[in-house]
Formats: sequence, C-alpha cells, structure tokens
Amino acid sequence: MPRAAEISVNEREFILQGLKENIRLDGRPFDAFRSLELNFGDEHGVADVQLGKTRVIARVSAEVTAPFVDRKFDGIFNISTEFSPMASPAFEIGRPTEAENILSRILEKAIRRSGALDTESLCIIAGLKCFSLRADLHVLDHDGGLIDASCIAVIAALQHFRRPDVAVEGENATIFSIREREPIPLSILHHPICVTFSYYNAGGIMLVDANLAEEQVREGEVVITMNRHGEVCQIAKYGGVSVDALALLNCTSVALEKVKDITKFIQRRLEEDAKKRDVGGLIAELSAENAR
Amino acid sequence: MTSAQTIVLPGDTIAPNALPTSANPNKPLTLGPGLRHIPPQTITTTIAGALSTDSKKNAAWIEYNSGRYTPSTSDLVIATVTNSVSEAYSCTLTPYTPTVTLPHLAFESATRKTRPQLANHALVYARVVSASRDTAPEITCIDPSTGKSEGLGPLKGGMVFPISMGMARRLLSGRKGGVNVLEGLSERLAFEVAVGRNGMLWVDGGNVRTTLAVGRAVQEVDTEALGDKGQSKVVDRVLRGL
Repeated sequence: MPRAAEISVNEREFILQGLKENIRLDGRPFDAFRSLELNFGDEHGVADVQLGKTRVIARVSAEVTAPFVDRKFDGIFNISTEFSPMASPAFEIGRPTEAENILSRILEKAIRRSGALDTESLCIIAGLKCFSLRADLHVLDHDGGLIDASCIAVIAALQHFRRPDVAVEGENATIFSIREREPIPLSILHHPICVTFSYYNAGGIMLVDANLAEEQVREGEVVITMNRHGEVCQIAKYGGVSVDALALLNCTSVALEKVKDITKFIQRRLEEDAKKRDVGGLIAELSAENAR
Repeated sequence: MTSAQTIVLPGDTIAPNALPTSANPNKPLTLGPGLRHIPPQTITTTIAGALSTDSKKNAAWIEYNSGRYTPSTSDLVIATVTNSVSEAYSCTLTPYTPTVTLPHLAFESATRKTRPQLANHALVYARVVSASRDTAPEITCIDPSTGKSEGLGPLKGGMVFPISMGMARRLLSGRKGGVNVLEGLSERLAFEVAVGRNGMLWVDGGNVRTTLAVGRAVQEVDTEALGDKGQSKVVDRVLRGL
C-alpha cells in the first residue's frame, strides 16, 4: 500500500507564512471552530457530528450482563473507536494508527475516567446483573479535529440515549421493552468537551480546531478537556514544542468559552430533537415517565 | 463545453444524430472517455455525464466529474517528489497511488552535473510521457520535440489547492471550459497559476493574501458549480475584499 502523500514543502511554507501574517487557510480567526453540525438518528443514542468536513458518528447501545467481580455495584461502560478506510485511505481496519490510539486514550481519560457517566446507576442487581453500555465511534470523514468532534459525538449520543426500564423483585429483574415502558435517560454527572490547541512557530502561534493541513504542519498540540463549570478533566500535550505555563492557563480560559458554546449547542439540538419526538396528547400522559 | 448538452446515464445508446457530422467523410469518428463502440453500429455510454461533441475533430466524449485521477499520456500534472532513486525522482500524483518516475535528466538543459536538486516533498509541474497499465507512469519536464521546458519544471513558493477533476479539465481547456474567474481576477491582481489534471491548482500571487484569494475563488466556483454570472459575482467580491 503506497503511503499518503505528505504535505508538500510549498504548502508547509505557505501555511506557516500565512499564520505569521495572521491568516488561516479558510479565513477563520485563530480561536474559531469550524461550523459545527449535530444531528440525531431515528434511534435513541445515535449522534452524527460534522465539524467542517470532518464527520463522526457515535452510537450508544446497552445490554444486560454480569458486572465485574471486583466492581459489583458498577455497570460497564466502554468506548470503542473505529477509523473506517472510508474516512481516509491512511486508516486500515485492524491496524490502529497512532492517531487512533491517541484518540481512544484521550476519550478514555476525558469521558470514562472523569466520571461523566454515573456507572452505579447502571447496576441492576449488585454482583449479578448490570447494564453494559457501549459507545461505538465511527469516523466517516477525516479533515482534522478528530478528538474534538469525537468527544462531542460521544457526549451528545450519551445524552440522547435511553436505556430500557427495569423492575427488580428480590433476585429477579424484569427488563421492559420500549413498548412496555418509556425508556429512561442515563444519569450523566457532567459533560466534558475536548478542545485541541495547535502550536506553531516554536510555540508562538496557537490555533483552535486545526484542519488536516494545519495539523500536518503543527509542532505541538495541547488537548484540554473541561466541562462548562470550568472543571478541567484532563490536559494532554503531544509534540516536541515547549508550551509556557501561562500560555496553558490562557488555553484553559479560551477552552472554557468554547466548551460553554458547544454545551449550549448540544443542549439546543437535544431540545429540538425532543420536540420533534414528542407525540403529545393522550400518549404522552400515558407514558411511564410520568408515574415516577 | 460545447453548446449541445445531453445528459446521459451508463448504458444509454447514443442516437446517430447526436454524434458529430464531419465534413470530411474520410475522417473516422473518435470516441473519447465514457463512450464505447459495440459493432456494428451501436455506441453506448459507460458513465454518467454530459455528452460533448467536436465536429471539427469528429470526436465525441462524456464530460463527467470523476473523483479519481488515472494518468494518461500528455496530461499536465502537478507531482510531489517523494524521494530520489538512482536515475530518477519518484513522485506521487495522488495520495495512496503507486508512484510515477521523473528521470533526473528530464529537465531543460539538465546534465548529470547540472540537474536540479529537488528536495523531498517538492512540487513539480510536468507532463505525462507514458502511462500504461503494466508499468509505472513516467513524467517529464521538457517538451521532447524542442528540448525546452515550455513552462514545466519545479514549482517554487505558492500554494496548492485541491480542485475537482472536472474543474481541472475545464481550466485547461481555455475559453471552451467556461471558467472566467481567473481572467476576471487578473484584471486587478498579478498571479501565476499551474493546473494539474490530477486535481491540483497551484497559485502564486507573491503574497499570502493574493494567493489565498485566487485559490479560494476557484475552489468556490468549483464546489458551487457557478456559471458566468456567479463567477463575476465572486470576482467582484474578492476584489472588493482585498
């Protein structure tokens, strides 16, 4: 398999020269995201995120399994990423690239380990039955900013997902299908969002949401994950360039603004989607959710 | 593009009256990309697109905007040098496709000692000399008949913008292509362009702002499929913005 054509010398020099003159290739300001688009599928728990040309779909599904023996009171939550060759010929199935490893590691840190999802609420009967939640991430088109887009997709899909209702009587658990009882939303404790900063010119220039060409030229990147309350979940730095501590503080304040905007955007889209699904009338009154 | 615009789908049979009528009966009908002759008389299409004809050359072909470039002889391309092997540079025309060769001596007045030293990932404007199914395509930077470069050679500075293959073809076919955005921009801006059939447009306007303005204008015309009116609107907007 021939390798990807690396970015040419001309392009590299042009992009760097442009950045020195405060011009980005697509005319955005340095601290602007590309246009963000979020759609939900017909099913609950499917989120389709488009960040510029980058496109990611996240799908959350649940099944009932036995919990891990050392964590009897917790449900199971996994995130699996898959880079389809459709997104870029650089991706091969079964042979994860470095970018894929970094992406899954950062999502692991940002969403799973920051405790965004209350896994205890997924427990049905301690030590016997729990929900195993799985978020599958499919990258459909790759034009940079994969980490940011993936994180938005997973968080939006988790917020959109509804798990089946259960009733426990002693040792027996009954799981109700969607027709029998209204499924219930997950209990999400906070909504972490990733913002990637790219560094150029020995750390002198900082960009938010670099596209693929800009990513190929960058000297270093800093990924900051935080929620809209300003609580930093993780900071990861890759690449050789050194970043000033004060610059890092500046990053967090820029990230906070972005995270607030994105969280608000996801919320708005979720409300629009809920309105679309709301049947209203007698059916709505009969829903099991009202009884609780 | 010619005036007759018939949209065809794969498998359509071309009516005889849609084909060009040549003044010279001895000149055989030439079928271009997307058309196939089934003896004795049937001509069918193999791809969806617009049927184009040229009565002077007695030729017919299908104009389509395909996504993938396959090298064919005498195409002008923009190649990226990947590395230098003993007698030639190996270059890529499109990502993830086998490399093409560019001999070290295929430059104007190049000898073993004076050949241009190209760095890895440098850009070259070249012409495809040979392209067959079984061997790696070969490209050159000289016109074999005159030994002159004729505008081909290493590209210094500037920026490459990806464009669709249909756009590249239209840009190269001059007035017939119906792209006048570059002419419009050149009334006020000075810039240099090179169009590669492999879907690349190299622009050098001397500074970042001009180069970007020109490249983005062409890309906009390409993605929005703008006609004459739309193109002059783009030109007006770009010139006002500078």
